[in-house]
Amino acid sequence: MTDIPFSFSTFDRRIKLSQFSSSHCIQSQISPLTSTTLSFPLYPSLQNIPMSLTLNLTPLTAVTTTLRSPPRVAMIRAFTATIDSRRPASLYEVLRIKQNASAVEIKSAYRNLAKVYHPDSALRRSESDQRDFIEIHDAYETLSDPSARAVYDLSLMSARGGGGSFSSLVAPNSSSGLYHQTRKWETDQCW
Amino acid sequence: MAEPAYIVTSDSETTGEEKPSTFSEIAIGIDIGTSQCSVAMWSGSRVELLKNTGNQKIMKSYVTFKGNTPSGGVCSQLSHEDEMLSGATIFNMKRLIGRVDTDPVVHASKNLPFLVQTLDIGVRPFIAALVNNMWRSTTPEEVLAIFLVELRAMIEAQLKRRIRNVVLTVPVSFSRFQLTRIERACAMAGLHVLRLMPEPTAVALLYAQQQQQNAHENMGSGCEKIALIFNMGAGYCDVAVTATAGGVSQIKALAGSTIGGEDLLQNMMRHLLPESGNLFQNHRVKEIKRMGLLRVATQDAIHQLSSQTSVQVDVDLGDGLKIWKTVDREEFEEVNRKVFEKCESLIIQCLKDAKVEVEDVNDVIVVGGCSYIPRVKNLVANTCKGKELYKGMNPLEAPVCGAALEGAVASGINDPLGNLDLLTIQATPLAIGIRADGNKFVPVIPKDTAMPARKELVFTTIHDNQTEALIIVYEGEGEKAEENHLLGYFKIMGIPAAPKGMPEINVCMDIDAANVLRVLAGVVMPGSRKPAIPVMEVRMPSVDDGHGWCAEALNRSYGASLDLVTLQNKA
Repeated sequence: MTDIPFSFSTFDRRIKLSQFSSSHCIQSQISPLTSTTLSFPLYPSLQNIPMSLTLNLTPLTAVTTTLRSPPRVAMIRAFTATIDSRRPASLYEVLRIKQNASAVEIKSAYRNLAKVYHPDSALRRSESDQRDFIEIHDAYETLSDPSARAVYDLSLMSARGGGGSFSSLVAPNSSSGLYHQTRKWETDQCW
Repeated sequence: MAEPAYIVTSDSETTGEEKPSTFSEIAIGIDIGTSQCSVAMWSGSRVELLKNTGNQKIMKSYVTFKGNTPSGGVCSQLSHEDEMLSGATIFNMKRLIGRVDTDPVVHASKNLPFLVQTLDIGVRPFIAALVNNMWRSTTPEEVLAIFLVELRAMIEAQLKRRIRNVVLTVPVSFSRFQLTRIERACAMAGLHVLRLMPEPTAVALLYAQQQQQNAHENMGSGCEKIALIFNMGAGYCDVAVTATAGGVSQIKALAGSTIGGEDLLQNMMRHLLPESGNLFQNHRVKEIKRMGLLRVATQDAIHQLSSQTSVQVDVDLGDGLKIWKTVDREEFEEVNRKVFEKCESLIIQCLKDAKVEVEDVNDVIVVGGCSYIPRVKNLVANTCKGKELYKGMNPLEAPVCGAALEGAVASGINDPLGNLDLLTIQATPLAIGIRADGNKFVPVIPKDTAMPARKELVFTTIHDNQTEALIIVYEGEGEKAEENHLLGYFKIMGIPAAPKGMPEINVCMDIDAANVLRVLAGVVMPGSRKPAIPVMEVRMPSVDDGHGWCAEALNRSYGASLDLVTLQNKA
């Protein structure tokens, strides 16, 4: 992975971070969460467009809204701690599962992460960087398709020179331990 | 001079980019159907439907023009049937919005008791209401905006506060251009569209909530459930396949078509009075009245055929033209055989696209006004191998309830009981791509891709030393470019001179969670990692009316001189 070809997934990060780094190999320096906190609105001018309410109604006394906005910053900080500081190297790391995870585990991990990283999710509000969810979904797309997963596993092996990191492939059977600890909202084992 | 009924608050076509700071306000769910409309919102513990002053939860979607003050169906006390006869009432705007006059749906709307005039050249149809024997022109956007202003006034009066953010349901088959028309109508009414949800996906969200509540009650049933949702209203028929677990509803596939109760009605009108098409061509006052009378009588007959096996149609159209006929249910089903066949094919297509076998479907949900028609219920059940239909949803209220849930979720509302611990992972209903490889449509983001999405494809030049390339963006499912909806186009200039096939033209499409589409194009020369020229970024749709003309003009002016082909050796 020494030569990163031009692609928009890398390019986008360059736009966002160009003020902070002149390096071409920015990808390796960004964790999903730092890119979140650094992302700028792409259309700052649009955000200021006033959309005044001009319907001629008699003034109504405003009722104080009792809606509770989520404690965003605290939430995100909490997640920061759980995330590795470097960019995940493999799709398994994106989904935070072991390489021998079962199809059910992959699906479960995907939904758990979707709950956190999807831009609509109640846990992560407007600060969210959507790239994260796209990355998670792309990883899920590949790993949930058995043939695509097999091809990907092969490419992983050849990328590592066919040796060295085989240990992760033959990891002991306790793979489910990791995600059992991290599940937060799901009540059951089977899906 | 009376005040106009609405004021255009923002001429901006761009309503997408949402402000992070506006999330404290809860968004209202609105379901504007072709014939009926309803409003709902999250009340703090559950979804509540709002009622109008006439105590109705389901209101007719129409606007009547009288003098300078048009009035909609929200609070109007007059019965729809009487008003419809005068020619002053515009309805079915959801069928007309964002369509050009070559569209068969617009042509079918010429039978409506108001003026729909076409020139058949790909421009906006002329729509007008008869006011004091004068045709007053309007647009579907304007009619929708007038209706939304009334709706907004009704909501604000009840909530005693101003509202701004809304979640609207839309048909699956709407093009992005049509979606901008809906957003435009909302902007005209001073409303900000937080989300436009395809109708069956709103139902899917409600289903996800129901499943989650069930899972809480009896532990151990939190398995993934596959649901097929069939939604047929007056104007559109939509199907979705969704996989639900733990409050997350992932849309696996969508299918939709412009068929609905309106088609059933028109087929029946033609059946009862075969010459009805010619009879109403001139749109004279008397003809409009006849058209209205026939419409009301046919509609009543269809409604009755849902509960009884035959019905007596007895209507006097004036001037000695009387219809006295018994229609039975089989006749009705035979007259509309093609419509029902299309419904079946949509279900089959959607299951296929979702890669789901009928046997794996856990629940089959049928909603929408047409779900009361026995044939519709049967065809869905039969296509799903006789599976019993899901109970526990009000067929008319399910979409608006889902929209209200999405409104609460997307507004960042938390529910201590976890009732809003929900998420919809939407999918693109149509593929988005560019014209390349001759006149082919090459999808960059395929149909049914999870959103937010970001995909890229690499293209290259077809001529030696080609320095310019035309990126023409389409949306749809057709193989040929012109069979799809044109979303926009732009030209890349300054491609370094090189043999054909050398420059890598990277086209990237990005859809964010608010469904805003951006198209980016960059040029990279082999051996370089940096783009050779500044990257272009264009928000789409960027074309306005007359899409057909645009594409034709581009073809005529440039032919194949600025064409691209896909580069095979790059993923």
